[in-house]
Amino acid sequence: MDRTHRVRRRVAAAASSVALVLPLTACDALTPGSAAAEPGPRSVPSSTAVPGEDITLRLQFADAPLMVDALIAAFEKDHPNIRIEPQYKTFSDYVQNLKLTMTSDTAPDIAQYAVGMTDLAADGHILDLAPYREAYGWDEAVPPVSMDQLTAGRTSETTGGRALFGVPAGLSMTGIYYNKELAERAGIDSPPRTLAEFEDQLAAAKEAGLTPLGVGALDSSGLHLWAALLNQTMPTDDYWDWVNGAKGATIEKPAGITASELVIEWSRKGYYNESANGTAQVDSTAQFAKGDSVFLINGNWAAGQLATAMKDNVGFFPMPGVRASARTVASGFSVSYAISSRTEHPEAAGAFLDFLTSPEAGQIISDNGFLPANPKAVAKPEGVLADIAEGHRRAVADDGITTFPDFAAPAMLDRLRSGVQKLIADRVEPADYLDSLQDEWEEHHAQ
Amino acid sequence: MRSRPRVQPASGRGRSPYRGYVYVLPALAVYLAFAVLPALHTAYLSLFEWDGVTLGDWVGLGNYQEILQDPILRRSVFNALVLVVFFSFVPIVLGLAMTGLLARHRRPGMGAYRFLFMLPQVVPLVAVGVTWRWLYGDDGLVNQALGAVGLDGVTRAWLGDFSAALIAVGLVGTWVLSGLCMMLFLSGVQKVDPSLYEAARIDGAGPVREFVSVTLPHLRGELAIAMTVTTVAALASFDIVYVTTNGGPGEQTTVPGLLVYRLAFSEGKVGLAAALAVVLGFLILLIVYLINRLSRSES
Repeated sequence: MDRTHRVRRRVAAAASSVALVLPLTACDALTPGSAAAEPGPRSVPSSTAVPGEDITLRLQFADAPLMVDALIAAFEKDHPNIRIEPQYKTFSDYVQNLKLTMTSDTAPDIAQYAVGMTDLAADGHILDLAPYREAYGWDEAVPPVSMDQLTAGRTSETTGGRALFGVPAGLSMTGIYYNKELAERAGIDSPPRTLAEFEDQLAAAKEAGLTPLGVGALDSSGLHLWAALLNQTMPTDDYWDWVNGAKGATIEKPAGITASELVIEWSRKGYYNESANGTAQVDSTAQFAKGDSVFLINGNWAAGQLATAMKDNVGFFPMPGVRASARTVASGFSVSYAISSRTEHPEAAGAFLDFLTSPEAGQIISDNGFLPANPKAVAKPEGVLADIAEGHRRAVADDGITTFPDFAAPAMLDRLRSGVQKLIADRVEPADYLDSLQDEWEEHHAQ
Repeated sequence: MRSRPRVQPASGRGRSPYRGYVYVLPALAVYLAFAVLPALHTAYLSLFEWDGVTLGDWVGLGNYQEILQDPILRRSVFNALVLVVFFSFVPIVLGLAMTGLLARHRRPGMGAYRFLFMLPQVVPLVAVGVTWRWLYGDDGLVNQALGAVGLDGVTRAWLGDFSAALIAVGLVGTWVLSGLCMMLFLSGVQKVDPSLYEAARIDGAGPVREFVSVTLPHLRGELAIAMTVTTVAALASFDIVYVTTNGGPGEQTTVPGLLVYRLAFSEGKVGLAAALAVVLGFLILLIVYLINRLSRSES
């Protein structure tokens, strides 16, 4: 009897531990690849004419719910027969479930563009919008550079030109914020024109007993800093090739070494907040708003918060180039929307995307702290928002908006985050860091 | 229904041996559907290279080979084993110490003690993680407390420090699981015949002797349970790490559970994630088996 008892206990213990691990292991009940069932057409129809019947579209998204609500309200006013149902998810939720959502029979008609979309585009789960790009004339209203980020690296089967898998609403860009009062105290009177000048200003701030640069490297600010430096040292074409997975592209170049060495050097000189690696991006922003550092690396998405907290005391400039005559190059992306191949109303969904490029939508986007695709169509912003708009205008004019480096491969975000943390802690050689990125890149692009 | 056998005593000893299974059938069905089948499915997926969308490629044991070779994956297993110290060993020692202090006499307010020590178990781990991230922060309570006693020199953002992060995360686990161990041991002590304590005291045993000679031997079963539960919590840890450090800085706090999640959901390597989950599951089974084996051979 004792023996069976023991066996039972063992079985029970084993079973309970299996049960504890299972929530991690049980991911989805699909046989690999059975989801590759017919997704529907690969491209939007050639006609843009919206049928007059009552139509309901579902829109799934993860950014700026207030902006989306306002955009929908304005669109529905113009198109009384179309109703759009917004479905908001938190960003991490959204990205994790994106592939499952978009390959399921209940996929939303319209969905925010995110990292996994490249694979979905390759398998035809989202529609190629290239025919609408021509029919609606989106090139007039949207800077081509921000649509170039949405091609998924593919050619359109319908038009033969570049494919298009999303239409941008708000655009984003990273750069450096500065606290005007603290800058003055450190003897800094104007934004730097070159990288060397910026380094002198960081040194001056350090000299004045202030924390020069706030970095929230616990999550993503570290990689924004590295990418901002890389943008200045590396030719943008090389960078684009690498992010897009062009054959033979590599990040293991002298330019990559220089940018990585700068991150280490600034750390050795004590330019960052002391606990950069333990500070989240939002926390570094809050500390900067309190006056804890002279400069801050972040993106335009923080502008609304900083303008409210610091009023006129905050300014913004894109990371300056190596030479004063250099192009303005900054990383940025967009809040964009794609159309599912399973939608029954591609024309109505197309009409909504077209609405996003209109002046009316531009004003709503601008009011919500994002950069509208067409800045000429909106009222001139003030304060730090004007600095950002000006920086963005220069970068667009120089064809210098590059995408974020984590778009190079799905696993790149983690490599970049932990890699830059090691650079900041001075625990890795630049060459080894770049090597780890390139390994990931080669694995994903199978080269 | 089969007919009942003739002339059997009501004790149930001679009933059809299958009859008992009918009673467990509903539970068994649920267990098969929601635990065993997904586990087998995971093992099946681990034999493919699959991104979660397109058609998967059969790679046999290739994913397992990759696990053995990847330094980050190996590092994560090492980190998990370090966490066992903080999730299992320390809470059990603390739980025993608290039991020794609380069990000897009935004191007023025992319920309040139990409630307080059990509280971390009741709070969702994500809330625990968020709270501790805040406590460990630059201006957090931990640094404020250190500053207040003149230890400004050692303050730092604990979760961002390469040498301190894993210990900091481990201590969160200690905080969560100590109360659970104490509760287990306290309930075990209540089974002990009070006359044993009385006899020990008449023989002149002090509190320490009493604990070692009377309390501890009676807690063997509870100790095995506590070790099993806490070790599994350490090896399968995910929520606390995900919320506090997300594996950083560098790979200092990366654990297998976190990698399973990342590989499957953000990196599109579902097969590799499944293989890692299978390895993790077997590692846990092995350790649980060893713990049970150990606690039996002592008796």
